[in-house]
Amino acid sequence: MRRALKIYRLLVVQNLKRLMEYRADFLTGAVSFLIDQAVGIGFIFIIFSQIPQLAGFTFPQILFIYGLSQIPKGLDHLLTDNLWCIGYFIVRKGDFDKYLIRPINPLFHVIAENFQVDAIGELVVGIGLLVYAAPNADLHITVWTVLLSLIAIPFATLIYTSLKIMTSALAFWMKSSGFIIQMVYGMNEFAKYPTTIYSFPVRIFVTYIIPFAFTGYYLSLYILTGTDPLLSIGGVILISSVLFVISILIWNKGISAYESAGA
Amino acid sequence: MNKIMKRYVPFMKAGVQSLIIYRLNFMGFVIGGLIYCFVMFYLWRAVFESNGGGIFLGFSMTDMVVYLFLSNTTTQLIFSDVSNEIGEEIRDGSISMRLLRPVNTDLSYMFGELGTALMKLVVLLIPVILGLEIYRFYVTGTIVFNPLNFLLYLFSAVLAYIISFRVNLCFGFIAFYVKNLWGIGILKNSVIGFLSGSLIPIAFMPEGLRICLEYLPFASMSYTPVMIYMGKYGAYEVLFRIAIQIIWAILLYGLSKLIWFGAIKKLCIQGG
Amino acid sequence: MIYAEHLRKEFKKVVKEPGLKGSFKALFKPKKEIVVAAEDISFHVPKGEILGFIGPNGAGKSTVIKMLTGILTPTSGECRINGKIPQNDRKNYVKEIGAVFGQRTQLWWDLPLQETYLVLKEIYEVDDASFKKRMDFLNEILELEKFIKSPVRTLSLGQRMRADIAASMLHSPKVLFLDEPTIGLDVVVKDNIRQAIMRINKEEKTTVILTTHDISDIELLCDRIVMIDKGKNVYDGSLHELRENYGQTRELVFETDKSSKLTKEQFRKGLNPNENDLVIENEKNNFKVRFNSNKIPVAEMLSYALSVTKVKDISVKDADIEEIIRNLYRQGEALNE
Repeated sequence: MRRALKIYRLLVVQNLKRLMEYRADFLTGAVSFLIDQAVGIGFIFIIFSQIPQLAGFTFPQILFIYGLSQIPKGLDHLLTDNLWCIGYFIVRKGDFDKYLIRPINPLFHVIAENFQVDAIGELVVGIGLLVYAAPNADLHITVWTVLLSLIAIPFATLIYTSLKIMTSALAFWMKSSGFIIQMVYGMNEFAKYPTTIYSFPVRIFVTYIIPFAFTGYYLSLYILTGTDPLLSIGGVILISSVLFVISILIWNKGISAYESAGA
Repeated sequence: MNKIMKRYVPFMKAGVQSLIIYRLNFMGFVIGGLIYCFVMFYLWRAVFESNGGGIFLGFSMTDMVVYLFLSNTTTQLIFSDVSNEIGEEIRDGSISMRLLRPVNTDLSYMFGELGTALMKLVVLLIPVILGLEIYRFYVTGTIVFNPLNFLLYLFSAVLAYIISFRVNLCFGFIAFYVKNLWGIGILKNSVIGFLSGSLIPIAFMPEGLRICLEYLPFASMSYTPVMIYMGKYGAYEVLFRIAIQIIWAILLYGLSKLIWFGAIKKLCIQGG
Repeated sequence: MIYAEHLRKEFKKVVKEPGLKGSFKALFKPKKEIVVAAEDISFHVPKGEILGFIGPNGAGKSTVIKMLTGILTPTSGECRINGKIPQNDRKNYVKEIGAVFGQRTQLWWDLPLQETYLVLKEIYEVDDASFKKRMDFLNEILELEKFIKSPVRTLSLGQRMRADIAASMLHSPKVLFLDEPTIGLDVVVKDNIRQAIMRINKEEKTTVILTTHDISDIELLCDRIVMIDKGKNVYDGSLHELRENYGQTRELVFETDKSSKLTKEQFRKGLNPNENDLVIENEKNNFKVRFNSNKIPVAEMLSYALSVTKVKDISVKDADIEEIIRNLYRQGEALNE
């Protein structure tokens, strides 16, 4: 564990050094994601300039859900961006070989290799929205709601990461699974708004099958309502743990099916 | 004309081929687009409900559905990847290879994309329009489809493609200055998504912004054709909007040429 | 040290029919075909040996190396290295081996070389003192100083290969797998790398498995060779034996008059050789005659050739190992047909 942290720190430092080398790129990336976010928020502002509330939530509450949903997304983006490359080309080109001949866990190695600072855009916007929306969102702020919500954030992040691990691992059988990651990841759009606006089948889908509902709506529910922590926070922890275990099983199965390149 | 076709048809075929080869990626984009449309559909449904149903800023819920799916489809139809392509070619230096070929550089890019655009027309646009018309028939009980509007839509979409192609061409040359093409791509998509009205109808935006956006080239890229299809414009306004599209197509043609010549000069100095 | 027993590896491959229809078919109902990359490979390498693992393209060399390094899981059969089965305990196993794949680098593309080694030091848990000693040694034999501060992407192919070899040696592995370590390099760099491999083997008793298409690599480095073709063992033995058994091939080059020719027909009449014992190639009036000197003595061949055609010039070449291997490949092909 200590060795893992040391390796991780070393690689992150290397990544930051590289960042300094390509400063313009970093700026473009971060600014791009920031603007992407701004556009999404502009959208909500425009809608709410016409209606007082949406599905029983006020404008600040909607902003709060939206903002909170961006934090797990941003954290996952910051830490595990390299999984995309597994799906798009690392496996297809046979470059996964190198992870298998090193004496550390290949999944850890893949993830540690990239530290994606572009994610600053999502994190800044997420936190900014929380700060902006919190005073008017009628939150139930107690030690418990805040503490449990904070604890749930890493688990919500794990939902993103697990889905990415699963879908990228499909590349071990399919050679390239970029489009599947794209498709599944794209469903995080559902997380931005209260799950109650969706029809019943869609709600089931985003809650139990591709459970992005837990990364935004359910994550916010406890602090918004002050009730039912078991359903919201407990749900996030349970679902993310189950998902993570499944993803690791798929990943490990994938490694033994890995065919390298050529032949 | 025949001679030109003969020379560029191979590029078109290559375009079709590459869409088939990358069909899974293409499907990913289509499905991703549909997911997005559905999220938006539910969001708008909730908005309409909160608003007490009926008409919202001149749009009925049926209008909204048509707008949502058609503008997303149009955006995919006129999607141009030329900025990425040029960017990659600049980065790996193969752009000098393209300059060596005895063909018009713009046209060779364009015909490559024409192939994919034709495929998308068949496998994407026609099914979506069919679905939307069935939906409209189901909701309103009458056939709303207007063939004239459909033809005008197609014509306007062609202009929209030309504008999109030129805008992307200009974007592609940024690769001379920035290496993070991927970040630029995200930036480009979200900015164009917002400014072109594919995210939210320009009609919904605050007065000043709306007027401003309607005259920018981005509105010409999907908003104009979709609004024409939906019959939101009268005869005079259709002509006016198409005229704006044509003007932008010409202006952007000039701009992209200017940048292109500048780029070639830079290329010669850098040595590719 | 290294035991490979009846290794077999199958790959599933999706077969796509041509055209649009084929693409749609492949999308919904992919037709799968099983490709056997390694059919039945067995060999054994004692400690401290340099083994040349050779075979034509597509013979299954890389597949076998990847099974030995634990990258691929064998379909059947087993390999044991230092008593360990690579796939069973990967983390501990890979600490004992080093691997270089000539076609791709394992270094971090954007990092300066030195930083790469620092990261690897942590990954392989090399302590500071041994690391320093190790870097000095590797610096000395691979001459890394000149480019150790440059990012890997800026290195030339030869520098990169040296850097890769050093990276694979950092943790003093007991076994070193080198898959085409000299591919695409010029003669000077090749020589440098061969020297380094030799020293590593001599000074540290490192067992080396080397695949290559460059016959000089084998001649200069390998104690023994294992040759495979179409996924099966073809030859296993020392280079010396190979030359003894198969090395009777000689090559004579006759330059003839413009009007004269040398054909197999002419030889068939007088010497009546077997099909494999005689090969004739020509380029204008230079006729290369390769033959088995066990069957046809050189003197006989010479005098016969002189008797049937007008010869302006003659040169004689000794059989080199490349020739022998080419013959072996050819025999393998004949057997398979």
